[in-house]
Amino acid sequence: MKILVTVKLVPDTTAEKRIDPSTKRLVRTGVETVLNPFDEYAIEAALQLKEKAGGDTTVTIVTLAPESGKEIVRKALAMGADDALMISDPAAEGSDVWGTAYALAQAIKKNGFDLVIAGTQSTDSTTGELPGALAEYLGVPGVTYVRKLDLDGTALKAERETDTGYAKVSTDLPALVSVTKSINEPRYPSLKGIMGAKKKTIAVQTLADAGVDKPIGSDAARTEVTNLETPPARGKGQIFEAADAVAGATKIVEFLRERKLV
Amino acid sequence: MRDVIIFVEHVQGQPRRVSLEIASKAKEIATALGGTVHAIVLGKNASAAAEALKAYPVDTIHVAEDPDIDAYFIDPSVDYLEAAAKAVGPALVLVPYTMIGRDLGSRLAARLDAGQTADVTDVVVDGGKVACVSPKLGGTVLTSCAFKGDYGIAAIRPNSFKAAQSAGAGTIVQLEKPAGKTYRIKVDEEVVEAAGELGVEEASTVIAGGRGVGGPEPFSTILKDLADSLGGSVGASRAAVDAGWIGHGHQVGQTGKTISPNLYIAVGISGAIQHKVGMRTASTIVAINKDGTVPIGEFADLLVVGDLFSIVPELSKQIRAGHS
Repeated sequence: MKILVTVKLVPDTTAEKRIDPSTKRLVRTGVETVLNPFDEYAIEAALQLKEKAGGDTTVTIVTLAPESGKEIVRKALAMGADDALMISDPAAEGSDVWGTAYALAQAIKKNGFDLVIAGTQSTDSTTGELPGALAEYLGVPGVTYVRKLDLDGTALKAERETDTGYAKVSTDLPALVSVTKSINEPRYPSLKGIMGAKKKTIAVQTLADAGVDKPIGSDAARTEVTNLETPPARGKGQIFEAADAVAGATKIVEFLRERKLV
Repeated sequence: MRDVIIFVEHVQGQPRRVSLEIASKAKEIATALGGTVHAIVLGKNASAAAEALKAYPVDTIHVAEDPDIDAYFIDPSVDYLEAAAKAVGPALVLVPYTMIGRDLGSRLAARLDAGQTADVTDVVVDGGKVACVSPKLGGTVLTSCAFKGDYGIAAIRPNSFKAAQSAGAGTIVQLEKPAGKTYRIKVDEEVVEAAGELGVEEASTVIAGGRGVGGPEPFSTILKDLADSLGGSVGASRAAVDAGWIGHGHQVGQTGKTISPNLYIAVGISGAIQHKVGMRTASTIVAINKDGTVPIGEFADLLVVGDLFSIVPELSKQIRAGHS
Protein backbone atom coordinates (compact mmCIF):
# COMPACT_ATOMS: atom_id res chain seq x y z
CA MET A 1 0.00 0.00 0.00
CA LYS A 2 1.25 3.45 -0.93
CA ILE A 3 0.53 6.17 1.62
CA LEU A 4 1.39 9.73 0.63
CA VAL A 5 1.49 12.55 3.15
CA THR A 6 1.28 16.14 1.95
CA VAL A 7 3.30 18.65 3.97
CA LYS A 8 3.90 22.38 3.85
CA LEU A 9 6.93 24.33 4.97
CA VAL A 10 5.86 27.34 7.04
CA PRO A 11 7.56 30.13 9.01
CA ASP A 12 8.22 29.24 12.63
CA THR A 13 4.97 29.59 14.55
CA THR A 14 6.55 31.79 17.22
CA ALA A 15 7.99 34.27 14.68
CA GLU A 16 6.31 37.59 13.90
CA LYS A 17 5.41 37.29 10.22
CA ARG A 18 5.01 40.01 7.63
CA ILE A 19 3.90 40.43 4.04
CA ASP A 20 6.10 42.11 1.42
CA PRO A 21 4.06 45.07 0.13
CA SER A 22 5.55 44.81 -3.39
CA THR A 23 4.96 41.11 -4.04
CA LYS A 24 2.00 40.92 -1.59
CA ARG A 25 3.36 37.56 -0.43
CA LEU A 26 4.49 36.31 2.92
CA VAL A 27 8.16 37.04 3.58
CA ARG A 28 9.81 33.65 3.99
CA THR A 29 13.40 34.80 4.25
CA GLY A 30 15.07 35.67 7.53
CA VAL A 31 12.52 33.58 9.40
CA GLU A 32 13.18 30.01 10.45
CA THR A 33 11.17 27.55 8.37
CA VAL A 34 9.54 24.54 9.98
CA LEU A 35 7.24 21.69 9.01
CA ASN A 36 3.66 22.87 9.37
CA PRO A 37 2.80 21.60 12.88
CA PHE A 38 -0.58 20.23 11.68
CA ASP A 39 1.23 17.99 9.18
CA GLU A 40 3.10 16.15 11.93
CA TYR A 41 -0.22 14.56 12.90
CA ALA A 42 -0.68 13.42 9.29
CA ILE A 43 2.82 11.89 9.25
CA GLU A 44 2.20 10.14 12.57
CA ALA A 45 -1.15 8.76 11.32
CA ALA A 46 0.59 7.38 8.21
CA LEU A 47 3.39 5.79 10.26
CA GLN A 48 0.89 4.12 12.59
CA LEU A 49 -1.00 2.68 9.61
CA LYS A 50 2.25 1.42 8.14
CA GLU A 51 3.29 -0.20 11.42
CA LYS A 52 -0.07 -1.92 11.67
CA ALA A 53 -0.31 -3.02 8.03
CA GLY A 54 3.34 -4.05 7.69
CA GLY A 55 4.32 -5.79 4.45
CA ASP A 56 5.16 -3.55 1.57
CA THR A 57 3.41 -0.41 2.89
CA THR A 58 5.39 2.76 2.20
CA VAL A 59 5.02 6.33 3.45
CA THR A 60 6.08 9.07 1.03
CA ILE A 61 6.17 12.78 1.87
CA VAL A 62 4.99 15.15 -0.89
CA THR A 63 5.50 18.89 -0.85
CA LEU A 64 5.52 21.90 -3.14
CA ALA A 65 8.40 23.98 -1.84
CA PRO A 66 11.73 25.52 -2.84
CA GLU A 67 14.66 23.10 -2.82
CA SER A 68 16.16 25.11 0.05
CA GLY A 69 13.57 23.41 2.27
CA LYS A 70 15.11 19.96 1.74
CA GLU A 71 16.54 19.65 5.26
CA ILE A 72 13.16 20.45 6.79
CA VAL A 73 11.54 17.72 4.71
CA ARG A 74 14.22 15.43 6.13
CA LYS A 75 12.65 15.84 9.57
CA ALA A 76 9.59 14.01 8.25
CA LEU A 77 11.91 11.24 7.07
CA ALA A 78 13.56 11.21 10.50
CA MET A 79 10.14 10.58 12.03
CA GLY A 80 10.03 7.41 9.92
CA ALA A 81 8.68 8.16 6.45
CA ASP A 82 10.42 6.18 3.70
CA ASP A 83 11.14 8.85 1.12
CA ALA A 84 10.02 12.24 -0.15
CA LEU A 85 8.99 13.95 -3.34
CA MET A 86 9.64 17.69 -3.54
CA ILE A 87 8.17 19.70 -6.37
CA SER A 88 10.58 22.63 -6.55
CA ASP A 89 10.16 25.05 -9.40
CA PRO A 90 10.46 28.83 -9.55
CA ALA A 91 7.39 28.77 -11.82
CA ALA A 92 5.32 27.58 -8.85
CA GLU A 93 5.99 30.75 -6.84
CA GLY A 94 2.92 32.68 -5.86
CA SER A 95 0.55 29.72 -6.41
CA ASP A 96 -2.84 30.07 -4.73
CA VAL A 97 -4.86 27.20 -3.22
CA TRP A 98 -6.04 26.23 -6.70
CA GLY A 99 -2.51 25.99 -8.13
CA THR A 100 -1.06 24.20 -5.12
CA ALA A 101 -3.86 21.63 -5.00
CA TYR A 102 -3.69 21.05 -8.73
CA ALA A 103 0.08 20.58 -8.77
CA LEU A 104 0.08 18.25 -5.76
CA ALA A 105 -2.74 16.20 -7.30
CA GLN A 106 -0.87 15.79 -10.58
CA ALA A 107 2.32 14.73 -8.80
CA ILE A 108 0.44 12.33 -6.53
CA LYS A 109 -1.39 10.72 -9.46
CA LYS A 110 1.86 10.32 -11.37
CA ASN A 111 3.54 8.74 -8.35
CA GLY A 112 0.60 6.43 -7.65
CA PHE A 113 -1.23 6.19 -4.30
CA ASP A 114 -3.72 4.28 -2.23
CA LEU A 115 -4.18 6.78 0.57
CA VAL A 116 -3.27 10.47 0.86
CA ILE A 117 -3.13 11.99 4.34
CA ALA A 118 -3.06 15.76 4.88
CA GLY A 119 -3.05 18.05 7.90
CA THR A 120 -6.19 20.10 8.52
CA GLN A 121 -4.63 23.48 7.76
CA SER A 122 -1.34 25.33 7.71
CA THR A 123 -0.22 27.78 10.35
CA ASP A 124 0.68 30.48 7.82
CA SER A 125 -2.31 30.83 5.52
CA THR A 126 -4.71 28.91 7.84
CA THR A 127 -7.41 28.61 5.18
CA GLY A 128 -8.02 24.85 5.55
CA GLU A 129 -9.00 24.71 1.88
CA LEU A 130 -6.32 22.45 0.49
CA PRO A 131 -7.58 18.96 1.48
CA GLY A 132 -11.00 19.41 -0.14
CA ALA A 133 -9.59 20.80 -3.37
CA LEU A 134 -6.94 18.06 -3.47
CA ALA A 135 -9.55 15.30 -3.09
CA GLU A 136 -11.51 16.85 -5.96
CA TYR A 137 -8.50 16.93 -8.29
CA LEU A 138 -7.52 13.39 -7.30
CA GLY A 139 -11.10 12.27 -7.97
CA VAL A 140 -11.24 10.21 -4.77
CA PRO A 141 -13.38 10.33 -1.60
CA GLY A 142 -12.11 13.08 0.71
CA VAL A 143 -12.74 12.51 4.39
CA THR A 144 -11.81 15.65 6.30
CA TYR A 145 -11.29 16.51 10.00
CA VAL A 146 -10.60 12.89 10.95
CA ARG A 147 -9.87 12.17 14.61
CA LYS A 148 -9.94 8.36 14.40
CA LEU A 149 -8.89 6.26 11.44
CA ASP A 150 -9.05 2.51 10.81
CA LEU A 151 -8.07 0.58 7.72
CA ASP A 152 -9.02 -3.01 7.03
CA GLY A 153 -7.68 -3.95 3.62
CA THR A 154 -9.15 -1.25 1.42
CA ALA A 155 -12.07 -0.54 3.75
CA LEU A 156 -11.61 2.76 5.54
CA LYS A 157 -13.56 3.73 8.64
CA ALA A 158 -13.20 7.13 10.24
CA GLU A 159 -14.60 9.43 12.86
CA ARG A 160 -14.84 13.00 11.60
CA GLU A 161 -15.17 16.04 13.82
CA THR A 162 -18.14 18.26 13.01
CA ASP A 163 -19.21 21.64 14.35
CA THR A 164 -21.76 19.94 16.58
CA GLY A 165 -20.04 16.67 17.51
CA TYR A 166 -18.75 13.92 15.28
CA ALA A 167 -19.79 11.51 12.54
CA LYS A 168 -18.73 7.95 11.76
CA VAL A 169 -18.16 7.44 8.05
CA SER A 170 -16.88 4.65 5.84
CA THR A 171 -15.43 4.47 2.35
CA ASP A 172 -12.96 2.51 0.24
CA LEU A 173 -9.42 3.21 -0.96
CA PRO A 174 -8.11 5.03 -2.87
CA ALA A 175 -9.03 8.02 -0.71
CA LEU A 176 -7.79 11.19 0.94
CA VAL A 177 -8.14 11.96 4.63
CA SER A 178 -7.24 15.10 6.54
CA VAL A 179 -6.53 14.61 10.22
CA THR A 180 -7.00 16.87 13.25
CA LYS A 181 -4.77 17.26 16.27
CA SER A 182 -7.00 14.90 18.23
CA ILE A 183 -5.94 11.86 16.22
CA ASN A 184 -2.57 11.14 17.82
CA GLU A 185 0.54 12.47 19.52
CA PRO A 186 3.26 12.87 16.87
CA ARG A 187 6.52 11.12 17.74
CA TYR A 188 9.84 12.89 18.05
CA PRO A 189 12.48 11.66 15.63
CA SER A 190 14.80 9.19 17.38
CA LEU A 191 18.57 9.48 17.02
CA LYS A 192 18.44 6.36 14.84
CA GLY A 193 15.71 7.97 12.78
CA ILE A 194 17.72 11.14 12.30
CA MET A 195 20.82 9.19 11.23
CA GLY A 196 18.76 6.97 8.94
CA ALA A 197 17.03 9.94 7.30
CA LYS A 198 20.35 11.14 5.90
CA LYS A 199 20.38 8.15 3.55
CA LYS A 200 16.75 8.39 2.48
CA THR A 201 15.82 9.71 -0.96
CA ILE A 202 14.32 13.14 -1.47
CA ALA A 203 13.44 13.30 -5.16
CA VAL A 204 13.38 16.89 -6.39
CA GLN A 205 11.21 17.44 -9.45
CA THR A 206 10.24 20.38 -11.63
CA LEU A 207 6.57 20.97 -12.36
CA ALA A 208 7.06 19.27 -15.73
CA ASP A 209 8.75 16.22 -14.09
CA ALA A 210 5.82 15.95 -11.70
CA GLY A 211 3.29 15.88 -14.53
CA VAL A 212 1.86 19.35 -13.89
CA ASP A 213 0.45 20.20 -17.31
CA LYS A 214 -0.92 23.69 -16.63
CA PRO A 215 0.79 26.88 -15.42
CA ILE A 216 0.18 27.33 -11.68
CA GLY A 217 2.28 30.26 -10.41
CA SER A 218 1.15 33.76 -9.53
CA ASP A 219 0.15 34.67 -13.12
CA ALA A 220 -2.10 31.60 -13.36
CA ALA A 221 -3.63 32.04 -9.90
CA ARG A 222 -7.42 32.35 -9.79
CA THR A 223 -7.16 35.02 -7.16
CA GLU A 224 -5.14 38.19 -6.93
CA VAL A 225 -4.25 40.20 -3.86
CA THR A 226 -5.15 43.76 -4.82
CA ASN A 227 -4.49 45.60 -1.61
CA LEU A 228 -2.80 45.28 1.77
CA GLU A 229 -3.65 47.33 4.79
CA THR A 230 -2.39 47.37 8.31
CA PRO A 231 -5.33 47.66 10.66
CA PRO A 232 -4.83 49.95 13.65
CA ALA A 233 -2.97 48.05 16.36
CA ARG A 234 -4.89 47.19 19.49
CA GLY A 235 -3.83 49.67 22.08
CA LYS A 236 -3.08 48.86 25.67
CA GLY A 237 -6.26 49.04 27.72
CA GLN A 238 -6.90 49.47 31.40
CA ILE A 239 -5.30 47.37 34.06
CA PHE A 240 -7.30 47.05 37.26
CA GLU A 241 -5.89 45.55 40.44
CA ALA A 242 -8.84 43.84 42.10
CA ALA A 243 -8.75 44.01 45.89
CA ASP A 244 -11.22 41.12 46.05
CA ALA A 245 -13.66 39.14 43.93
CA VAL A 246 -16.51 41.62 44.31
CA ALA A 247 -14.33 44.55 43.25
CA GLY A 248 -12.98 42.62 40.23
CA ALA A 249 -16.40 41.42 39.10
CA THR A 250 -17.99 44.85 39.64
CA LYS A 251 -15.28 46.48 37.53
CA ILE A 252 -15.92 44.04 34.67
CA VAL A 253 -19.70 44.45 34.82
CA GLU A 254 -19.34 48.26 34.74
CA PHE A 255 -16.97 48.01 31.80
CA LEU A 256 -19.33 45.68 29.90
CA ARG A 257 -22.26 48.03 30.64
CA GLU A 258 -20.34 50.99 29.23
CA ARG A 259 -19.84 49.01 26.03
CA LYS A 260 -23.44 47.80 26.09
CA LEU A 261 -22.30 44.19 26.23
CA VAL A 262 -24.58 43.32 29.12
CA MET B 1 -19.86 37.79 -12.01
CA ARG B 2 -23.25 39.36 -11.29
CA ASP B 3 -25.47 37.15 -9.19
CA VAL B 4 -24.64 36.01 -5.69
CA ILE B 5 -25.14 32.41 -4.61
CA ILE B 6 -25.18 31.59 -0.91
CA PHE B 7 -24.94 28.15 0.63
CA VAL B 8 -27.22 28.03 3.65
CA GLU B 9 -26.09 25.80 6.48
CA HIS B 10 -28.92 24.66 8.75
CA VAL B 11 -29.40 22.47 11.80
CA GLN B 12 -32.59 20.44 11.52
CA GLY B 13 -34.32 23.06 9.41
CA GLN B 14 -33.08 26.06 11.39
CA PRO B 15 -30.61 28.20 9.38
CA ARG B 16 -27.38 28.81 11.29
CA ARG B 17 -26.91 32.42 12.26
CA VAL B 18 -23.82 32.77 10.06
CA SER B 19 -25.95 31.88 7.04
CA LEU B 20 -28.47 34.59 7.94
CA GLU B 21 -25.59 37.06 8.31
CA ILE B 22 -24.41 36.03 4.84
CA ALA B 23 -27.93 36.34 3.38
CA SER B 24 -28.19 39.90 4.66
CA LYS B 25 -24.83 40.91 3.20
CA ALA B 26 -25.43 39.04 -0.07
CA LYS B 27 -28.35 41.29 -0.98
CA GLU B 28 -26.17 44.38 -0.60
CA ILE B 29 -23.49 42.84 -2.83
CA ALA B 30 -25.98 41.65 -5.45
CA THR B 31 -27.63 45.07 -5.58
CA ALA B 32 -24.23 46.72 -6.16
CA LEU B 33 -23.53 44.19 -8.93
CA GLY B 34 -26.99 44.50 -10.50
CA GLY B 35 -27.80 40.85 -9.82
CA THR B 36 -29.96 38.75 -7.51
CA VAL B 37 -29.38 36.45 -4.53
CA HIS B 38 -29.79 32.70 -4.89
CA ALA B 39 -29.82 30.63 -1.71
CA ILE B 40 -29.06 26.90 -1.83
CA VAL B 41 -30.55 24.83 0.99
CA LEU B 42 -29.87 21.09 1.08
CA GLY B 43 -30.72 17.98 3.04
CA LYS B 44 -33.33 16.81 5.51
CA ASN B 45 -35.65 19.65 6.64
CA ALA B 46 -34.30 21.94 3.90
CA SER B 47 -37.88 23.08 3.16
CA ALA B 48 -38.30 24.25 6.75
CA ALA B 49 -34.99 26.14 6.52
CA ALA B 50 -36.17 27.67 3.23
CA GLU B 51 -39.36 28.92 4.93
CA ALA B 52 -37.29 30.51 7.73
CA LEU B 53 -35.07 32.11 5.10
CA LYS B 54 -38.02 33.93 3.55
CA ALA B 55 -37.71 36.58 6.28
CA TYR B 56 -34.28 37.50 4.83
CA PRO B 57 -33.47 39.32 1.58
CA VAL B 58 -33.04 36.41 -0.83
CA ASP B 59 -34.63 36.32 -4.27
CA THR B 60 -34.60 32.62 -5.15
CA ILE B 61 -34.31 29.70 -2.75
CA HIS B 62 -33.14 26.45 -4.36
CA VAL B 63 -34.09 23.44 -2.26
CA ALA B 64 -33.25 19.72 -2.36
CA GLU B 65 -34.30 17.21 0.29
CA ASP B 66 -32.78 14.16 -1.44
CA PRO B 67 -31.98 11.56 1.29
CA ASP B 68 -28.56 10.94 -0.33
CA ILE B 69 -27.46 14.39 0.90
CA ASP B 70 -27.41 13.19 4.51
CA ALA B 71 -26.69 9.52 3.83
CA TYR B 72 -23.37 10.35 2.15
CA PHE B 73 -20.76 12.87 3.23
CA ILE B 74 -20.14 16.02 1.13
CA ASP B 75 -20.21 14.66 -2.44
CA PRO B 76 -23.98 14.93 -3.06
CA SER B 77 -23.95 18.48 -1.67
CA VAL B 78 -21.06 19.43 -3.97
CA ASP B 79 -22.95 17.99 -6.95
CA TYR B 80 -26.08 19.98 -6.14
CA LEU B 81 -24.07 23.15 -5.58
CA GLU B 82 -22.15 22.69 -8.81
CA ALA B 83 -25.36 22.12 -10.80
CA ALA B 84 -27.03 25.15 -9.20
CA ALA B 85 -23.96 27.36 -9.79
CA LYS B 86 -23.80 26.34 -13.44
CA ALA B 87 -27.53 26.99 -13.87
CA VAL B 88 -27.21 30.47 -12.36
CA GLY B 89 -24.09 31.30 -14.38
CA PRO B 90 -21.08 33.44 -13.47
CA ALA B 91 -21.48 34.39 -9.83
CA LEU B 92 -19.93 35.13 -6.50
CA VAL B 93 -20.52 32.13 -4.23
CA LEU B 94 -20.59 32.74 -0.47
CA VAL B 95 -20.21 29.87 1.97
CA PRO B 96 -19.78 30.09 5.75
CA TYR B 97 -16.22 29.72 7.01
CA THR B 98 -17.25 26.75 9.14
CA MET B 99 -16.11 23.12 8.95
CA ILE B 100 -18.71 22.18 6.35
CA GLY B 101 -18.44 25.50 4.53
CA ARG B 102 -14.67 25.12 4.12
CA ASP B 103 -15.11 21.67 2.63
CA LEU B 104 -17.91 22.70 0.29
CA GLY B 105 -16.21 25.89 -0.83
CA SER B 106 -12.89 24.25 -1.61
CA ARG B 107 -14.52 21.38 -3.48
CA LEU B 108 -16.78 23.65 -5.48
CA ALA B 109 -13.80 25.86 -6.36
CA ALA B 110 -11.94 22.82 -7.68
CA ARG B 111 -15.00 21.69 -9.68
CA LEU B 112 -15.40 25.10 -11.26
CA ASP B 113 -11.64 25.71 -11.51
CA ALA B 114 -12.40 28.92 -9.66
CA GLY B 115 -10.55 31.07 -7.17
CA GLN B 116 -11.40 30.94 -3.50
CA THR B 117 -10.68 33.13 -0.53
CA ALA B 118 -11.04 32.03 3.06
CA ASP B 119 -11.88 33.70 6.32
CA VAL B 120 -13.46 36.72 4.64
CA THR B 121 -14.66 39.46 6.99
CA ASP B 122 -15.87 41.96 4.40
CA VAL B 123 -16.88 42.04 0.74
CA VAL B 124 -16.52 45.34 -1.10
CA VAL B 125 -17.99 46.06 -4.54
CA ASP B 126 -16.37 48.92 -6.42
CA GLY B 127 -17.12 49.66 -10.07
CA GLY B 128 -18.62 46.20 -10.56
CA LYS B 129 -15.51 44.52 -9.15
CA VAL B 130 -15.64 42.34 -6.05
CA ALA B 131 -12.90 42.44 -3.42
CA CYS B 132 -12.89 40.08 -0.46
CA VAL B 133 -11.19 41.34 2.67
CA SER B 134 -9.52 38.82 4.98
CA PRO B 135 -7.35 39.36 8.03
CA LYS B 136 -4.06 37.51 7.59
CA LEU B 137 -1.18 36.75 9.93
CA GLY B 138 -3.45 36.81 12.92
CA GLY B 139 -5.11 40.06 12.01
CA THR B 140 -1.93 42.12 11.57
CA VAL B 141 -2.64 42.60 7.87
CA LEU B 142 -5.90 43.02 5.97
CA THR B 143 -5.68 41.67 2.43
CA SER B 144 -8.11 42.48 -0.37
CA CYS B 145 -8.45 39.72 -2.87
CA ALA B 146 -10.04 39.79 -6.33
CA PHE B 147 -11.17 36.84 -8.48
CA LYS B 148 -9.96 36.38 -12.03
CA GLY B 149 -12.51 33.96 -13.53
CA ASP B 150 -16.27 33.68 -13.97
CA TYR B 151 -16.85 32.35 -10.48
CA GLY B 152 -15.34 33.37 -7.17
CA ILE B 153 -15.86 31.54 -3.91
CA ALA B 154 -15.59 33.32 -0.59
CA ALA B 155 -15.84 31.65 2.82
CA ILE B 156 -17.25 34.19 5.27
CA ARG B 157 -16.13 34.32 8.90
CA PRO B 158 -19.05 34.18 11.36
CA ASN B 159 -19.88 37.44 13.18
CA SER B 160 -18.67 39.54 10.23
CA PHE B 161 -22.09 40.92 9.30
CA LYS B 162 -25.39 41.62 11.05
CA ALA B 163 -28.28 39.29 10.30
CA ALA B 164 -31.04 41.76 9.43
CA GLN B 165 -34.56 40.58 8.64
CA SER B 166 -36.00 42.08 5.47
CA ALA B 167 -38.04 39.76 3.28
CA GLY B 168 -37.02 39.30 -0.34
CA ALA B 169 -38.99 37.60 -3.10
CA GLY B 170 -38.06 34.23 -1.59
CA THR B 171 -39.28 32.18 -4.54
CA ILE B 172 -38.73 28.50 -3.78
CA VAL B 173 -37.42 26.27 -6.56
CA GLN B 174 -36.81 22.52 -6.23
CA LEU B 175 -33.38 21.40 -7.44
CA GLU B 176 -33.24 18.35 -9.67
CA LYS B 177 -31.10 15.40 -8.61
CA PRO B 178 -27.83 15.44 -10.55
CA ALA B 179 -27.88 12.39 -12.82
CA GLY B 180 -25.40 9.53 -13.05
CA LYS B 181 -23.63 10.02 -9.72
CA THR B 182 -22.43 7.38 -7.30
CA TYR B 183 -21.49 8.30 -3.76
CA ARG B 184 -18.69 6.70 -1.84
CA ILE B 185 -18.49 8.15 1.68
CA LYS B 186 -21.28 6.61 3.71
CA VAL B 187 -22.35 8.37 6.91
CA ASP B 188 -22.84 5.51 9.37
CA GLU B 189 -23.70 7.60 12.39
CA GLU B 190 -24.01 11.30 13.18
CA VAL B 191 -23.51 12.25 16.83
CA VAL B 192 -24.55 15.67 18.14
CA GLU B 193 -22.61 16.34 21.34
CA ALA B 194 -23.15 20.03 21.96
CA ALA B 195 -26.83 20.40 21.11
CA GLY B 196 -27.90 24.04 21.12
CA GLU B 197 -24.42 25.35 21.95
CA LEU B 198 -22.64 27.40 19.32
CA GLY B 199 -19.04 26.57 18.45
CA VAL B 200 -16.40 29.15 19.41
CA GLU B 201 -16.20 30.33 15.79
CA GLU B 202 -19.84 31.33 15.69
CA ALA B 203 -20.46 32.45 19.27
CA SER B 204 -20.70 36.21 19.79
CA THR B 205 -19.28 35.83 23.31
CA VAL B 206 -16.44 33.47 24.17
CA ILE B 207 -15.14 32.72 27.66
CA ALA B 208 -11.73 31.07 27.24
CA GLY B 209 -9.60 29.37 29.84
CA GLY B 210 -5.85 28.82 29.85
CA ARG B 211 -3.08 27.33 31.91
CA GLY B 212 -4.07 29.44 34.93
CA VAL B 213 -7.35 27.56 35.17
CA GLY B 214 -5.31 24.64 36.49
CA GLY B 215 -7.42 21.63 35.44
CA PRO B 216 -10.43 20.33 33.54
CA GLU B 217 -13.07 20.98 36.20
CA PRO B 218 -13.42 24.80 35.95
CA PHE B 219 -14.17 24.48 32.23
CA SER B 220 -17.38 22.61 32.96
CA THR B 221 -18.23 24.59 36.11
CA ILE B 222 -17.27 28.25 36.58
CA LEU B 223 -16.31 29.02 32.95
CA LYS B 224 -19.36 27.22 31.57
CA ASP B 225 -21.55 29.04 34.07
CA LEU B 226 -20.13 32.43 33.06
CA ALA B 227 -20.61 31.53 29.39
CA ASP B 228 -24.23 30.55 30.11
CA SER B 229 -24.88 33.81 31.98
CA LEU B 230 -23.71 35.77 28.92
CA GLY B 231 -25.19 33.42 26.29
CA GLY B 232 -21.67 32.54 25.12
CA SER B 233 -19.49 29.50 24.52
CA VAL B 234 -16.38 28.15 26.21
CA GLY B 235 -13.00 28.37 24.47
CA ALA B 236 -9.47 27.47 25.52
CA SER B 237 -5.81 28.18 24.93
CA ARG B 238 -3.46 25.60 23.52
CA ALA B 239 -1.96 24.92 26.96
CA ALA B 240 -5.37 23.88 28.29
CA VAL B 241 -6.15 21.72 25.25
CA ASP B 242 -2.74 20.04 25.23
CA ALA B 243 -3.15 19.26 28.92
CA GLY B 244 -6.36 17.43 28.00
CA TRP B 245 -8.60 19.71 30.08
CA ILE B 246 -10.97 20.40 27.16
CA GLY B 247 -11.43 19.19 23.56
CA HIS B 248 -9.46 20.54 20.61
CA GLY B 249 -12.65 21.92 19.04
CA HIS B 250 -12.56 24.66 21.69
CA GLN B 251 -9.00 25.78 20.97
CA VAL B 252 -8.45 29.39 19.96
CA GLY B 253 -5.13 30.41 18.42
CA GLN B 254 -2.64 29.58 15.74
CA THR B 255 -3.15 25.82 15.91
CA GLY B 256 -6.83 26.20 16.78
CA LYS B 257 -9.54 28.53 15.57
CA THR B 258 -9.38 32.18 14.60
CA ILE B 259 -12.41 34.00 15.87
CA SER B 260 -13.99 37.48 15.98
CA PRO B 261 -16.58 37.49 18.76
CA ASN B 262 -18.09 40.71 20.11
CA LEU B 263 -16.71 39.85 23.54
CA TYR B 264 -13.78 37.63 24.48
CA ILE B 265 -13.05 36.99 28.12
CA ALA B 266 -9.64 35.38 28.63
CA VAL B 267 -9.37 33.62 31.98
CA GLY B 268 -5.93 32.58 33.17
CA ILE B 269 -4.49 33.06 29.67
CA SER B 270 -1.17 34.87 29.36
CA GLY B 271 -1.77 35.89 25.72
CA ALA B 272 1.34 34.66 23.92
CA ILE B 273 1.54 35.46 20.20
CA GLN B 274 0.16 32.02 19.20
CA HIS B 275 -2.99 32.73 21.18
CA LYS B 276 -3.22 36.40 20.26
CA VAL B 277 -3.42 35.67 16.52
CA GLY B 278 -6.58 33.64 17.09
CA MET B 279 -8.56 36.30 18.97
CA ARG B 280 -7.07 39.74 18.46
CA THR B 281 -9.91 40.72 16.11
CA ALA B 282 -12.51 40.31 18.87
CA SER B 283 -14.38 43.60 19.35
CA THR B 284 -13.79 43.68 23.10
CA ILE B 285 -11.20 41.71 25.06
CA VAL B 286 -11.36 41.35 28.83
CA ALA B 287 -8.71 39.36 30.69
CA ILE B 288 -8.67 37.99 34.21
CA ASN B 289 -5.24 36.99 35.46
CA LYS B 290 -3.40 36.82 38.77
CA ASP B 291 -0.35 38.38 37.10
CA GLY B 292 -0.54 42.02 36.01
CA THR B 293 2.51 41.73 33.74
CA VAL B 294 1.17 39.07 31.32
CA PRO B 295 1.40 39.90 27.58
CA ILE B 296 -2.39 40.01 27.25
CA GLY B 297 -2.30 43.25 29.26
CA GLU B 298 -0.70 44.89 26.21
CA PHE B 299 -3.75 44.39 24.00
CA ALA B 300 -6.76 43.60 26.21
CA ASP B 301 -9.26 46.41 26.65
CA LEU B 302 -9.42 45.55 30.33
CA LEU B 303 -7.13 43.35 32.42
CA VAL B 304 -8.40 42.59 35.89
CA VAL B 305 -5.62 41.36 38.15
CA GLY B 306 -6.91 38.99 40.80
CA ASP B 307 -7.99 35.47 41.69
CA LEU B 308 -9.94 34.00 38.77
CA PHE B 309 -11.47 31.26 40.94
CA SER B 310 -13.37 33.83 43.00
CA ILE B 311 -13.84 36.60 40.38
CA VAL B 312 -15.41 34.36 37.70
CA PRO B 313 -18.26 32.98 39.88
CA GLU B 314 -18.88 36.45 41.34
CA LEU B 315 -19.05 37.86 37.80
CA SER B 316 -21.64 35.26 36.76
CA LYS B 317 -23.64 36.11 39.87
CA GLN B 318 -23.57 39.87 39.18
CA ILE B 319 -24.46 39.41 35.50
CA ARG B 320 -27.42 37.21 36.43
CA ALA B 321 -28.52 39.71 39.10
CA GLY B 322 -28.35 42.51 36.53
CA HIS B 323 -30.61 40.60 34.17
CA SER B 324 -33.25 39.72 36.73
